[in-house]
Amino acid sequence: MNNVAIVGTGQTKFSKDDGDVEKLLFESTKNCIQSVENCESKDIEGVLVSTNNNSKYLGAILSETIGIQPKISHSIEHLCSSGTNALISGYAYISSGLADMVLVSGVESATNPGQVLDWDKSRGSFDHPIYWASMLTKSHKTKFQTTEEELAIVSAKNHKQAMDNPLAYSNQPRTISEVMNSKQITDDLRILDCSRSCSGSASILLASEEKAKKISDQPIWIKGIGQKTTSASFTKNTLEEIESTRIAAKTAYEMAKVEPNDVDVAEVHDAFSVCELMAISELGITDNDKSGEFVRNLFNTENRMINPRGGLIGTGHPLGATGISQTIEITNQLQGKSEKRQISNLKTGLVHNMSAAGTSSSVMVLGN
Amino acid sequence: MTFFEDQLKQGIFQISYCEKCNENIWPPKEICHICFNESKWKKSENIGKIIEFSKKDSDYFGLVEIDQGIRIMGDISSLSTPKTGQIVTMKVSFDSKPHYSFTVKNN
Ligand SMILES: [Zn+2]
Repeated sequence: MNNVAIVGTGQTKFSKDDGDVEKLLFESTKNCIQSVENCESKDIEGVLVSTNNNSKYLGAILSETIGIQPKISHSIEHLCSSGTNALISGYAYISSGLADMVLVSGVESATNPGQVLDWDKSRGSFDHPIYWASMLTKSHKTKFQTTEEELAIVSAKNHKQAMDNPLAYSNQPRTISEVMNSKQITDDLRILDCSRSCSGSASILLASEEKAKKISDQPIWIKGIGQKTTSASFTKNTLEEIESTRIAAKTAYEMAKVEPNDVDVAEVHDAFSVCELMAISELGITDNDKSGEFVRNLFNTENRMINPRGGLIGTGHPLGATGISQTIEITNQLQGKSEKRQISNLKTGLVHNMSAAGTSSSVMVLGN
Repeated sequence: MTFFEDQLKQGIFQISYCEKCNENIWPPKEICHICFNESKWKKSENIGKIIEFSKKDSDYFGLVEIDQGIRIMGDISSLSTPKTGQIVTMKVSFDSKPHYSFTVKNN
């Protein structure tokens, strides 16, 4: 199996306004290709587009737009974790030897159709994600004595970290009390506990070891991958757990030959405040009943270890681009290119991306 | 419209199950996920237990388990704050999406 590296990255700004997916895709792709000094576009053998948008044939459209004729081109949809699924597909094409270099581009428009899963009859008329998020939050409060303040800290921390991310949809600071007094959505959820659907695009160029060493002086290696789908319907899950994340993390750690305490920096899928607490527990970074305290400590010590770019809550959530944007943040952190939000002495980074109330998860371990 | 949806419209919650495997199949499907044989239909007992709940504006909603293991989201009518584990009765309907409505017993 060939080793696979990230050799180029590019993004657009995230925005709550509607966006043109083809234009956004082109913009992040252009930024990605231009980030690699010796990249010949014609050497790209695969073009994968991750999106929930209903536009057809985007892999071929993007290829034609940048003037290339790749061997492989297609779209990938897996709700909120489309981005990491596309990256892992690109990884598989390269590690198997089917392609030498693959462009993975994620895109979404703010009015995407990916928030409601009609198929899941379990949700009844409560089909918007805010309802399962309310169930998860209420359950976390009851089972682990998580306080409203601890939940608010997740959002305050991620908004604060997003202030140093020029691509975030908003750079507005939010204090703990602002979060706690923001508009009440349900008894267990406030508007600032929610990530917002955005327009935006993010692209990564993946390459084989041989190619990476030729065109990049700072390749970042994908060292571990774990994925797990436990169901499609949300009510099969136990409310206090994200089993798919726990299993995916174990696989990724084993492949990378690292332990949870080796993780120096992580982007986790904070679709809602409670999701960050659950994710860092299932990833083994802390314990369930200590997750609130763990995040409070990060916030008080200005430690950006979790969600340095601002997470989904602070940066915005363009579904198909999110997993790729998370991976770009960890890549840039490991390369020492994160400017104002750079964390020092990094060796191992982690990306956690999930779909539909945690019924499916992807975890990637990256290293420099 | 599927059979399940059409039955909801008539106020009936139909459960697909496999006679051979003795398993409920949820969400409803025409095929058993174990043996791939065609599933059969049976009517719900319309009684459930509250697993978790919250409130939006002045209305309670939550996750309820009906018929030994089927968990669905619906609105909950209760004169006082509901409790997890509380027994509820169920009414169903369908317009563009399913509606499951629960009422706390002995309110
Ligand atoms: Zn069967």
